[in-house]
Order: sequence, then C-alpha cells, then structure tokens
Amino acid sequence: MTVAVQCEGVAKTFGASVEAVSPIDLHLVAGQTTALVGPSGCGKSTLLRMIAGLEVPSAGTVLIGGAPPSQTLRDADLAVAFQDPSLLPWRSVRRNIELALDLARRPKRAEEIEQLIRLVGLEGFADARPAELSGGMRQRAAIARALSTQPALLLLDEPFGAVDELTRQQLAQDLPALWEARGTTTLLVTHSVSEAVMLSDRVIVLSPRPARIVADVTIDLPRPRRPEMARDPDFGQFTEHVFAALSKGVADTLPKAAQ
Amino acid sequence: MTRYALGPIAALVLWELIARGLAGSFVLAPPSAIAVYLVENFGLIARALGVTLGNAAAGFVIGNCAAIALAACAIVWPRSDAAIRGAALLVFCLPLVATGPILRVVFGPGPWPQIVLAALAVYYTTLIPLLVGLRAVPSDWLDLLRSYGRGRFSALLHVRAMAALPYLVAGLQIAAPAAFLGAMVGEFTGAERGMGVLTIRAMRGMNVEMTWTLAAVATAVAMLGYWGIGAIAARMLQEDPPVILAAPAALKGGGLGTAAMVAFLVVLVWDVGLRLLDLNTFFAKGPLDVFDALALAPDARDTWSILLRALGETAVFLVPGYFAGLVLGALIAMLIVLVPSVAGTAMPIAIALRSVPIITTAPLVVLLMGRGAAGTMVLVAIMVFFPTLIACLHGLRQAPSRVMDVMNSYAAGPLQQLMRVRIPAMLPAFFAAARMNVPASVLAVTVVEWLATGNGIGSTMALSASVSDYDLLWSAVVIVSLLCVVGYGVVGLVERRVLRVYAPEQLA
Repeated sequence: MTVAVQCEGVAKTFGASVEAVSPIDLHLVAGQTTALVGPSGCGKSTLLRMIAGLEVPSAGTVLIGGAPPSQTLRDADLAVAFQDPSLLPWRSVRRNIELALDLARRPKRAEEIEQLIRLVGLEGFADARPAELSGGMRQRAAIARALSTQPALLLLDEPFGAVDELTRQQLAQDLPALWEARGTTTLLVTHSVSEAVMLSDRVIVLSPRPARIVADVTIDLPRPRRPEMARDPDFGQFTEHVFAALSKGVADTLPKAAQ
Repeated sequence: MTRYALGPIAALVLWELIARGLAGSFVLAPPSAIAVYLVENFGLIARALGVTLGNAAAGFVIGNCAAIALAACAIVWPRSDAAIRGAALLVFCLPLVATGPILRVVFGPGPWPQIVLAALAVYYTTLIPLLVGLRAVPSDWLDLLRSYGRGRFSALLHVRAMAALPYLVAGLQIAAPAAFLGAMVGEFTGAERGMGVLTIRAMRGMNVEMTWTLAAVATAVAMLGYWGIGAIAARMLQEDPPVILAAPAALKGGGLGTAAMVAFLVVLVWDVGLRLLDLNTFFAKGPLDVFDALALAPDARDTWSILLRALGETAVFLVPGYFAGLVLGALIAMLIVLVPSVAGTAMPIAIALRSVPIITTAPLVVLLMGRGAAGTMVLVAIMVFFPTLIACLHGLRQAPSRVMDVMNSYAAGPLQQLMRVRIPAMLPAFFAAARMNVPASVLAVTVVEWLATGNGIGSTMALSASVSDYDLLWSAVVIVSLLCVVGYGVVGLVERRVLRVYAPEQLA
C-alpha cells in the first residue's frame, strides 16, 4: 500500500514569536523518496515531526493518504528514525526491534528480524545492548527498528549522522531498493546535499528559519544508483543545482547590511 | 495561582470537618483550634522555635562544612574515597535517638547534643550528592586543564566546584528539614528547651491541640527552609538541581579489604577519641568495653538475649512498614503518571511533603493510631513513602523525551508507555530510594519505640539510658548501626544488579 502526504499551509510557531516553519505547501508523491535539505536549525525536523503527528501545526493541515496523522499513527502505518537513535538502553537490538513490532501489533517473525539486522550491517550484534554499540551502530539499529513494521510512510530525520562512510554507501544502495520493493513513501531530512541527491527522487530545499521552500528539484537519475555515480557529471549537476539553491536561500535570508 | 491554592484550601476544610466530627476523641485538632492555640501561646512556641532553629542552623552549618571538607578530601586524594564513604555511612547509620543520650553525658547540659545530632542528620545527604557532582565533569575538561599543566587542585577549584554546585544545592535543600529533624530528635532525648521538649510535654499531657500545633509549626518551618534554599538556588543556577541517585560504589576484589580497613579506622578513632577526651569510663564505653560486654563478660549471654529479643520486636514493625512504604510510593507514583492532569499538581505537593520532618509528626501518629504495632508500622511506612514517591515520580518522568517520541510514533497508549519505558526507567531511582530509606526507616522505628511504644530496640535503648546501663546502650548502638549498614549494603547490591541492566551508564 502506498500513501501520499499533503501539507497545506503548514506552519509552526514556538512560544509567542519563534517562527520555525512559515506556511508551507508540500506534497509527497506516493512511493517516492523525497529529501528535505536545509541549513542547521532551519525547521526541517519540525516539519518532519508535524508530518509524523508528534507536533501539532500552528496553522494548516497535514493529511496522510487523506487522513490526519493521528489516524496513521493509530494504524502504525508510519515509522520514524530519529537523529538520536532513542533505543531503550535495557533492551538488546533484537528486543528493541521487537518492541516496535509489539507496539504496532505486528507479528514478530524471527527470520525477518534477522534479515533486517543483516541489512543494516549489525550481524552478530542482535543481542548487544545499545551501550555496547558505537554511535553509528545505534543509528543503524534505529533504522532497522523503523523498517521492521513495514510502514507505508517512513520518516528519516538525519539518520546517518554517525554512520561511517562505507556503511553509509552500502545503506544508500540497499535502503532505496527495499523502499521501492515495498512501495514505501519516504521523507529524508538531511543537511548533506550529496546524500539527498543519491537517495531521493526529489529534493526540497528549505531556507534558514523560518523554513520555506526555495527549490524543488526532481532527481531523475536512473536506479539503482551505485556509489560510482557520485562521480557522474549528471549527479554533479544535480548537487550543484541543489547547493546553489541552498546558498541562495541562505544569502536571501541574511539581513542586507551583513552582505 | 488559584489552582495551587484550591488543593490546600480544600484539604484544610476537610481536616476541619473531620476534626470536628471526631471532637472529644482526643485524636485530631482542627486547624481553627491550632490557630487559636498558636495565638494564645505565641510567646512560648516562639521561644522554643528560636532555640530549636538556632541549634538546627548551627548543626546545618557544621554538618555541611564537614561534608564539603570530606568531599574535597576524597577528590584531591582519591585513595581516601572508599574510607571516607565507608566511615560516613557507618556514622549515618548511628541510631540518632541513642546517640542523643550518649552525647548528653559527653557534652553535659546545653545545646551541643542537639547541634551535633542536627549535623549528623545532614552531612551524609550532602556528602553523597557532592561526591557525585564533583565527579560529574566531562573528562575532556579535565584533560584540557591537564594539557595546560595544571593539577588536581586547579581542577577542583576551576572545574569540579562549579560542576558540583547544583548537586550541592540539591543536598543542602534536603539538609534544611533534616537539620530541624536532627535538632528535634536531640530534644526528644532530654534537653531543657526547644520544640522537641514541648512536644514531649504535650504528648505526656495528652494535649491534642498542643501536639498538633507543634507538629504544624515544625512542618511549616522545615518546608520554609526547603523552599528558601530552593528559591536561592533557582536564582543562582541556570538548571534545576538534579535528583541524586548516586549508585553505591562497587565492592570490587578489595571490597572486603576496604570494609575491614574502614572498620579498623572507625574503631581506632572511637578508642583514641574517648581517651583524648578523657571522659568518665562509667558512661564513655570504648570498642574494647563493647567487645567485652558482648563476648567476654559473664552476662554477655544475657545482653545478647535482651538485644536479640528487642531487635526481633523491632523487625516485626520495621520490615513490613519499610516494604509497604516502598510499594505504596512506587504504585502511587505510577498512578499519578497515568493521570497526567494530576501529575502537574501532584509533583510540587509531593516535594513539599518530602520536606516535612516526618519524625516530628511521630506524636501525631501515636495520637491517631495508638501506641501499638499499627502506629509504629504506619510511621515507618510514611517515612519511607515520601522519598520513594518523589524518586519514583522523578524516575517515571525521566524517560527521555526522544524515546517517548518513538513510543508516540507507534501511538503507544499511556499504559504501554508506563509498562515498557517509564517503569524500567524508574528502577534506578526506586532502588536509590530503597537504599537511602534503610537508615531513615531505622531512625523512624527507633524514635517511635523510644517515645511511645515501649517495645523493641528503641525502647531498650531508652531504658538502658535511663538506668545508666551504658554497656548495653553502647552495644545496642553498635549492633543497630552494623545491621543498618548491612541492610544498606544488601539493597545496594540488588541495586547494582538492576543498574547493570537498566542504567549501565550510572555504574561508571
């Protein structure tokens, strides 16, 4: 099952005056992977949290497959991998994944869990507790947990920050293949332009806070995308394009006097 | 504001109504009667309060200065850490009621026994957070100092002292009501003036209004001290003072060796101290005298049988009360968390109640429950209940918000969140409370037995003090302290096992 996400005039203001997200219209196409790129602190995580139903928009509406996020949450049709792995420290990697399945009321199939653990490169660490893993390994465990419930909508909030380069390349190949096979609608928040281009069908560039959309770039590079593609001129053009939009967004937002 | 005022006002009205309903049963004084009594006897109570406050303040300063000095010593000279902690724990486990009369014969009449007891009641709860705080420094900072060629003293001054400030404040906050409690216990065991003396008089005379008024005043003063320090801290510090869960130190291979060394040190200080003070050996019993009384003397068997019988009587009240307090504290904390609308108002009320010096309300419990078993058990349970409730509430709410985000992203309900995240996250706090409550519950049970019930080890100590059987009194103090240390250690061992699974980072 695939779902589309529609954000209409979604905005978020914290307290009386801190405007994190200015009204944004954003449509995520069902089954596609969309990346949100923007400078640190621009409000992209806030936007993701509003789509996840973890934050209530100050204005506007979010609809996931035509229903409000709370409905999707109840159906456990959505999963988030957070920037912080947020694993329960007293549960092993396997039991952390099982927790998600329990909460989502999905059957726990040992074979599928093993497969996921292999997919994120944590073979042999299924029974390790988070404290015994490196930061990158914990993030991968959190990704495995997010994938375990086979959500229709997958939200990734900078999930590769602490993952080492080689593993990241591997994940960048394996994960899109999995999403494609499952028809998962994926939203990836990142501040790495090349990661965004490599993984996504579409890159949305956000301005510094308050976030607004400054560019919407369709990445029609062929799939599967191999790591070598990063040296491809087309790939270079896309990253150039996204990077230019990002820089322009920052420059436009700076006060004139500072330029 | 009105929201905070409504609860207490409702409680006062209810109290008034119940007390009027029970009029004539000599149990409960209504708030109106307390107010009248307070106004009519204002001079008397104000004078007594002044005396007790003075003693408590002196003890507060002395005890906390001692704690700060000991903590600094343990940091600058890390090898002394185990000995300082061990000796401090042993002294913390002294049954204060029995220490009172001993101090009285040592110091003679005057305020010093009360001051020393107040100091004894505060130093441990300051020392332990402080030791945690002085170590709660990112190792990078210390490396930075070392890279500039500076040593332990500069680290202590520039980095550790600042990092420890919130922990010190947390300790001082708990110390304020504890000092008041210590001073009152001192007065219970024979002083000339003060709130404790008036309380005893009120209890003996079955004066319900006076008993309730004194308890209300003591409670109000202790709470003011707690809030006052909290308010000063809030102005000084950016962050809230942390809730201290300091895990007990590991008993590594050298654990028994350390214990033996601490025991030897304590015995040495005790023996040499008595000789130096040159006290009358009639009441100043050294370690050899106690050993003699318990092992060699012809009546050693009798001494043991008296002590064991008394301890047995005490255990019957102490153990159920202790566990009831723990279980109730944890359960009510869970209920409060399940009803979020209650949690917001319950936390400040619970914290306020923690600052009540429960012991000073012992006479009330005796009035309400009688001098029998029920009263003793209830008091122990109350003594254990509040710290456990606070610790558990804190632990339950300490579940990291990021983990709660994960739970929310699967639409996990409150019960699921409680069972899967909050309760496991609460366990470290629960066990820390259980450990610190061992000495507290012993204090509670011995005070009630001393004051009221005429049963158990507290009463045995009271009797031996009044008939000047100092061999028996010192022996009882030693045995109770040791048992208390053992209880503390046993809970600490269980706690370490739990922490290894649920909070390995605390066992660094």
